Amino acid sequence: MLRLATLWTAGVPAVAPAFSPGPSRYSSVTEAITLVVLLTEFAMLRAGLSRSQVRLYAFQSFAVSVLAVFVAANNGIGELYAVAILAFVLKVVVVPAILTRLLRDAYVGLVASHRLRVATMVLIAIVVSVLAFIVIKQLPIRSPSLPTATMGIACAVILVSFLLVILRSDVVSQAVGTFSLGNGIDVANFIIAAGLPLILGVVLLFDLLVAAVVFGLLIRAHHGRARTLSTETLEQLRG
Amino acid sequence: MAGIDLTPVQIQVFQVLAIVVLAPLLSGAIEHLEGRLQGRRGPRILQPYYDLAKLFRKETLLPEDAGWVFVAGPLVAFMCYLVVPLLIPVLTAYPLPLGFMGDILGGGFILGLAGFVVALAAAQSGGPYAQLGSSRSMTFGALIEPSMLFITFTVALVTTTDLPYFEAAASRASLGQAVRPAHLLAAVAFFLVVLGDTGRIPVETHASTLEFGMIDEARLLEHSGPLLALLKWGSAMKQMILYTILVNVFVAPWGLAGSRALSAVLLAIPVLMGKAFGVGVVFAVIDNSFSKLRLFKITEFMAGAFLLAALAVVVLYLGSG
Amino acid sequence: MGWELIVVMVVPLVVGLASWWTPAKLSRVLSLASGLLSFVLALTLIPARSATALSGWLRVDALSVVFMVTVAFLYMTTAVFAAGDLRPGGDKRYLRRFFAGFNLFAWAMLMATAVNGFALLWVAIEITTIISALLVAIEGTDTATEAAWKYVVIASMGLGIALFGTIVLYEAGTVVFGSSYEPFYSELLRAAGRFSPELVRLSFVLAVLGFGTKMGLVPLHTWLPDAHSEAPTAVSALLSGALLAVSFYAILRFYQVSIRTLGPAFPRDILLGFGLASLVLSSLSLANQRDLKRLFAYSSIEHMGVLAVGMSFSTRIAVVGVLLHVLAHAAAKSTAFFGAGSVTNTFGTKDMRRIRGGTAALPWSGPMLLLAVLGLSAMPPFGLFRSEFLIVSGGLTDPKDAVAAVLLVLGSAATLGLSWFASQTMLTPAGRRPPSGTGVRGSSEELAPAEACPALPGSPPARSSAWIVAAMATGLGALALLGVHPPGVLSGLLERAARELGALR
Repeated sequence: MLRLATLWTAGVPAVAPAFSPGPSRYSSVTEAITLVVLLTEFAMLRAGLSRSQVRLYAFQSFAVSVLAVFVAANNGIGELYAVAILAFVLKVVVVPAILTRLLRDAYVGLVASHRLRVATMVLIAIVVSVLAFIVIKQLPIRSPSLPTATMGIACAVILVSFLLVILRSDVVSQAVGTFSLGNGIDVANFIIAAGLPLILGVVLLFDLLVAAVVFGLLIRAHHGRARTLSTETLEQLRG
Repeated sequence: MAGIDLTPVQIQVFQVLAIVVLAPLLSGAIEHLEGRLQGRRGPRILQPYYDLAKLFRKETLLPEDAGWVFVAGPLVAFMCYLVVPLLIPVLTAYPLPLGFMGDILGGGFILGLAGFVVALAAAQSGGPYAQLGSSRSMTFGALIEPSMLFITFTVALVTTTDLPYFEAAASRASLGQAVRPAHLLAAVAFFLVVLGDTGRIPVETHASTLEFGMIDEARLLEHSGPLLALLKWGSAMKQMILYTILVNVFVAPWGLAGSRALSAVLLAIPVLMGKAFGVGVVFAVIDNSFSKLRLFKITEFMAGAFLLAALAVVVLYLGSG
Repeated sequence: MGWELIVVMVVPLVVGLASWWTPAKLSRVLSLASGLLSFVLALTLIPARSATALSGWLRVDALSVVFMVTVAFLYMTTAVFAAGDLRPGGDKRYLRRFFAGFNLFAWAMLMATAVNGFALLWVAIEITTIISALLVAIEGTDTATEAAWKYVVIASMGLGIALFGTIVLYEAGTVVFGSSYEPFYSELLRAAGRFSPELVRLSFVLAVLGFGTKMGLVPLHTWLPDAHSEAPTAVSALLSGALLAVSFYAILRFYQVSIRTLGPAFPRDILLGFGLASLVLSSLSLANQRDLKRLFAYSSIEHMGVLAVGMSFSTRIAVVGVLLHVLAHAAAKSTAFFGAGSVTNTFGTKDMRRIRGGTAALPWSGPMLLLAVLGLSAMPPFGLFRSEFLIVSGGLTDPKDAVAAVLLVLGSAATLGLSWFASQTMLTPAGRRPPSGTGVRGSSEELAPAEACPALPGSPPARSSAWIVAAMATGLGALALLGVHPPGVLSGLLERAARELGALR
């Protein structure tokens, strides 16, 4: 009551208290982009249509290549532009195009393959992400190129992509989950090894390219056999 | 500065009056816009005022089982909506008397109390639709609560207080602060909360006729006359309050009066109206572009809002965010 | 010095690519030549302390030579086996894909042992995954597709983790080298003492999880029995004898760095945990198997468990035993798979309850299969007996490892069950078939009539051919040689490799 009264009589403080200036604009923006990558991963958990799954993957890859451009520009690493362009061409254009074509041949649009309810899956994924943040927080990671918080986010992307593979039982989700694992590692790569993009960048893009080839072959083979994109039928081999 | 300076108390009165008077106008404008978007001519912009005036002239009919709760509900709710504008930056960038009486959580509680008494009043009416609406609105209110709590945490971690004035001030202080991921996440989460709280698609089709999926609107079915007028006015005010928090605290805390000059305060009123209408446009577009979720899928929506809010806290707390 | 490395890197690659176009007859000859050449060159590398080529990008030391010899030996014997198993004249498309994939698979594994640096090691192992997944799926049956899908999803996830571990290790190195450097083994090892222990610990755990997935450590082994049983026999032999070993090699590379940064305790505990889990679970699962190739797959998991446990003892004797075990396991397991392939071809089924009178039908490969199975159960005088003996005696030198050592002995004893099953299929006369329907589990598909089981699409069902017998004899000979009297130069190599792994006691 006393406090109320003083507030009433004392009127207005002249200015708001001074804030710490907050993070720099660069680190805010890059963190926001990595968060977009993570949120896309969450959206993949939910997405019902195989086609939208592929689109989400393309969008996520786009965010990753934008991030690469930011890192390249801010740290003056010329090679990263090349990585960004390669990532864009491969992951935003080529791989989604291949997957979309495979899907068109498969005639299966809607895949309800959630093993759990969406809200439950999201909650599990939140817990897993928090775990990733806590673990990464303990490590002495000093990134020359990006704010360290992004490392936790990248790790969360990786773990959620595992969840995607585990909790969804259709071929497209599992394939996209494995690819988006690559996106998470890509981000981790920008954080830790931005100075050496050539070797690790080649590693990543290479990984993706060949994985796409293998997955493409297998999706086709699988569909040719089972007439469905669900992995529920894959249970002959046990024990 | 030339011109008349107002006392802080007068400005505070202005804040409340702005909400009370302009809320039906905002609703009318949005309704009109929606009509246009749907290819209708839409109701007149001032229609809500006419509706209110008409309802106030009518007599009040009470259901048989109704007691004093049924009557008191709309009154208490209306009073709650009068209190909340005291706590938030409606017109000024600087805090006003009684502005520190409650924080974001306090404001949330008062809004929650309003929702609760309305639900209580509806429950007492004995009408099946009204009771369905009140039970649903309480259920989903409880589901949205965790998100609201985490948004509050975010604000508290950013500003080291949880006063809405300071969150706004922090965003104004630097652009780095405004595009900070935690802030963006909290803003989007709050946007979703508002979407749910004002009974918009994808949670609920607002202003609809009778249907099974209705939540908030169903609660008003048994009220009539001045009581119904108060409820309608109250929900318009609630909508405006939430929009105001969204724009003036999270999204665009610019264009508020920086001084006590009458001209500055008066100028802030159309600016606020413009920003709130901007939000309304976004909401109307969403309303027209998405379909309603099935009732049992609303938890997914809530989980999405919670995800954003929780991530905001996590990023802030465990990262530099 | 070092031209051998380049040749080993080039020849199988060229042969693999050429097999896509050359007729099957020529591919067969080329594969044989390439396998033989690789093995001979790998043998010539044994005495050398180290060999370098391509300005440091290719480099082998004693540790990598052990694994290179393993892979090259299997490459050679498998090429011999394939020559008998897949007669030219079968499905052309199948043969073309098989020989191309087979040679490229061997090439990728040889590359994994020859490259210098963690990033390249990862790339090589990733290539092995892709090619082997395609090889697993090559038969195109439902079950083969299923096995390949599981394999590729699980292994890709594992390799994702391994890549993450590689990146973290790289980050650990930035303390010493700055933010831009090539992660060569030797440089990393020299500076490992100054790395941040937290990062190295994380990277080691990630590497064991990731490469352990490919190595088949429990509980990351779920793909392994499926892939091994569904792949063509030659591929199963390579998967089991070589690919698992190469994954183990990758773990050992991380182990080398970890013990320098963290001391031996932490890496040991991790390996011990995974190793014991693999040992126990696989010993228990062995008794449940009715499929001959699945039986051998579980035996592979068991032996991988032995490797991990043996490595955790980290005494010199035990580590020498582990490396010997890698060689001996490759020889024994490939022979066993060759025998299984020959049995499968003859009887048209992999179900052991339906196979009777093996030695009568297969006078050469039948008995040799039995001997290989005895070898796999670590019976003297075969190589696995010697290696397990070394591992156990290495473990017993330290009282706190004694329990694990005893467990290891018990686990091996459990695999005698394997011999029991196999000897039943081989020695019971053909007339005494058990009444069908007495299956323990999963019986309905497995008891389909033998005629319905498709033979390999690439070959008319062959009985036993001289090629197969030769391949098995080579494997058995090597196994016996390792058991009776390992050549001195090889023992020297193993000693040096053990020293490189930090086992000095």
